[in-house]
Amino acid sequence: MKVKKIFLPESELPRQWYNIMADMPTPMEPPLHPGTGQPIGPDELAPIFPMPLIEQEVSQERWIDIPEEVLDKYVIWRPSPLYRAYQLEQYLDTPAKIYFKNEGVSPAGSHKPNTAIAQAYYNKISGTKKIYTETGAGQWGSALSFSCALFGLECKVYMVRISFNHKPYRRIMMETWGANCVGSPSTETASGRAILEKDPDCPGSLGMAISEAVERAVGEETAKYALGSVLNHVMLHQTVIGLEAQKQMEIAGDYPDIVIGCSGGGSNFAGLALPYVLDKINGKEIDIIGVEPTSCPTMTRGPFSYDFGDTGQLTPLLPMHTLGHNFVPEAIHAGGLRYHGMSPIVSQLMMDDLIRAEAIPQMETFGAGVKFARSEGFISAPETNHAVACTIREALKAKEEGKEKVILFNWSGHGMVDLAAYNDFNSGKLADHELADEEIQRALDDIKELPKPKQFKG
Amino acid sequence: MKRTDTPPNDDYQIRCPRLGHQIAFSYCRVENKGLPCFKAVDCWFEHFEAEPYLKAQLTPEEWDKAFNTQTQPKMLTLLDLIEQAQKIKS
Repeated sequence: MKVKKIFLPESELPRQWYNIMADMPTPMEPPLHPGTGQPIGPDELAPIFPMPLIEQEVSQERWIDIPEEVLDKYVIWRPSPLYRAYQLEQYLDTPAKIYFKNEGVSPAGSHKPNTAIAQAYYNKISGTKKIYTETGAGQWGSALSFSCALFGLECKVYMVRISFNHKPYRRIMMETWGANCVGSPSTETASGRAILEKDPDCPGSLGMAISEAVERAVGEETAKYALGSVLNHVMLHQTVIGLEAQKQMEIAGDYPDIVIGCSGGGSNFAGLALPYVLDKINGKEIDIIGVEPTSCPTMTRGPFSYDFGDTGQLTPLLPMHTLGHNFVPEAIHAGGLRYHGMSPIVSQLMMDDLIRAEAIPQMETFGAGVKFARSEGFISAPETNHAVACTIREALKAKEEGKEKVILFNWSGHGMVDLAAYNDFNSGKLADHELADEEIQRALDDIKELPKPKQFKG
Repeated sequence: MKRTDTPPNDDYQIRCPRLGHQIAFSYCRVENKGLPCFKAVDCWFEHFEAEPYLKAQLTPEEWDKAFNTQTQPKMLTLLDLIEQAQKIKS
């Protein structure tokens, strides 16, 4: 019998997180206070974050010890298993070896508790009694609720009203872990009341929910706020994924040619990728791909051409299926992991050419999720399907090229609370739509002078 | 299937990468305090002619506010919110 799962013993759980800030080829500039022009100082963030997390946010130390109390909680589900996806390989008839790190085994069902546990701990030792946060569908809210329960902290979650009304399951998870979850905007805050006064039926937004959470955290002496993505300390805590994966891949006797993760705010992608980025900085040849939803017309009908990564034409020419950089207005063109909801670390690594972005349309991601479920059994979270889809693309490319590539991806969460999305896909409610020919021609005219890569057959 | 000029009805929902669940265009149209979500065109262009539709619906000022406003790093957003909250507190 072939080995399917590679487990690490608990004694092999990493004792330190990896901080890529120490190794960034282009050092990260600290954000400047718009009023003073000076770097934002710890005192300015202290109203919402405990000091240990502020220190981690700006730390240049390469390795940061994981406290024993955090390890004690991590072992509830960590080290997470590394799987060899034999059935998917067989289904695709690919020579590629596919591995995936299963982060869906956490109690909350995703990678999010890796940082939620750490944040709850640092708040606890700093005297925090209550943590406020915001959430959409509830993946982060449920992770933080679970973590607060383990450390005896109160947790209050402002959940975007439209999600609160229509997506009850993670709200129920939060409440089961003892958190108090309310729909946002709420009447509990000045910012919420101001919105409701103008629009009593307001469906809410993440912006409104974060305003409410921060307002409450600032207003109470022993309360703080927590964020589950984007910030440097969040990326740091997630590196436990990649550090474990490196040990497990060594046991498997393979080293990845390609590392893949889906990237919304960047945290699960960074968690797997950053330790491998260090390897790449040190000379390893490795393709590290962050996958995101299609955000500009990277179309199957367009020629495979080079295009600028942004409309300012500042980024290097990137080969992609494209309809050209002028297809959408500059500010809307959010592709390439560069919009403000993305981790600055991930954005900078892309600018430094250490990682790259790939955009995949929604239909392809769900199709990939179904293939994965029918071969490997697991039903992926819809975000995770982006990584699955990219893995399938790369495995099929390896087949075309006849190469035995080793692919490692982060299976960041299960989709058992997201079945409505699968239902829409399975019942054909989602559809592929074509662009009008004149739109395509107009966009192609923009890029006709650009150089074409070898693969171009137009 | 050809893309339509107008949005699909609310039965047609796509994945919102920010909220993390299926959502209809009617929400994306007003997400930003009555203005469209800054990702509305990005997410919907595959499903209907989102850009011309929204350009026709919005004034040039509203369009700029929704889509051409300079965004800032998350840390600065948090700083703004802290300052607002401190004013409310005092």
